Amino acid sequence: MGQRKAHFGTMLRQRRLAKGYSLRKFAELVDVSPTYLSLVETGKAEYPPSAERVRVMAELLGEDPDQWTALAGRMPEDVKGIILNEPEAMPALLRAARGMSADQLRELTKQIERKNQEGKEP
Amino acid sequence: MSPPPSGRHRVPFLHEKRIEREADLLLAEWTAKGNPVALPIPLDDLVELHLELTYEVEDLRERLKDLGVLGAIWFDENIIRIDTTLDPREHPSMLGRFNFTLAHEIGHWRLHRAHLRANPDEAMLFETNAEPAFVCRDGDKRPEEWQADAFAGCLLMPRPRLREAWAEWRGADDPLALTDLDVRAVHADRKLNENLAMEQFCRPLAERFAVSAPAMRIRLQAMELLVRELEPRLF
Repeated sequence: MGQRKAHFGTMLRQRRLAKGYSLRKFAELVDVSPTYLSLVETGKAEYPPSAERVRVMAELLGEDPDQWTALAGRMPEDVKGIILNEPEAMPALLRAARGMSADQLRELTKQIERKNQEGKEP
Repeated sequence: MSPPPSGRHRVPFLHEKRIEREADLLLAEWTAKGNPVALPIPLDDLVELHLELTYEVEDLRERLKDLGVLGAIWFDENIIRIDTTLDPREHPSMLGRFNFTLAHEIGHWRLHRAHLRANPDEAMLFETNAEPAFVCRDGDKRPEEWQADAFAGCLLMPRPRLREAWAEWRGADDPLALTDLDVRAVHADRKLNENLAMEQFCRPLAERFAVSAPAMRIRLQAMELLVRELEPRLF
């Protein structure tokens, strides 16, 4: 977890500066204190920013919100809800999919989307 | 940090005008890149985007085991750190002091870095084992701290911008004398009462420049816009 936090913090600072946001400006935009943002950037924050804050950060910096949420060590709020709605089947699906490559997962996602679409058609 | 060896100063004497020129030069470098210099002065942009220094707000008192520290600078690592007790989001009344401390650290970077680099013995005394080059505390009047304070005043309240704001606010560019202010006997010390009256008066201007009222009062006095007595006029 320590390495993840440090990696996320380093990446956050790099992207923030590349986009021309100063520490205080960025902290204000994501509604945190400069002290907390410094802690996140140096990997010393006790808790990562909330999924909602990470989403705002990613959007400001033109990054993928889901990817950044995972990098920050958080789970997107909608994903949390999906698992809670299907507390047995959904974790089972995720466990079954564990170990698949990103390409295989994308292919699986497409198949599921096609199946969902077929279900909707009259 | 222990005081410098007796009879020796870490930095050479710098005249106020030389310090003001350095602050003006920094702003000129920023504008030469096509950036506007709006009020308050965009200190954070100067630190991170122009000087490319790392800048953090953290519990410096814990890091340095020093209860009086407000800010510090590490020359080798290019890092400025400001103590979290000044964080203006957590403590809005500290905004002016936060800005002044940050500008003060920029002052060390611009005024003293080259000297310490050229005099490695001096640097060695103060920058070993990841110790900062300068540790800054409230009320420290050693020459290097005085110089960094003077730089901060000039950077945060550039002379032409302050003259312009003064004239706009006052409706004239004339100085104001203490005799025109309501000095109340709050303390036994007369000078302290006078300073308080001047600070109360210049508070709106201080807010515009995002500095504390004492910092604004000192700068206005240095620019002779706030004076104790008006010079008698010949005509």
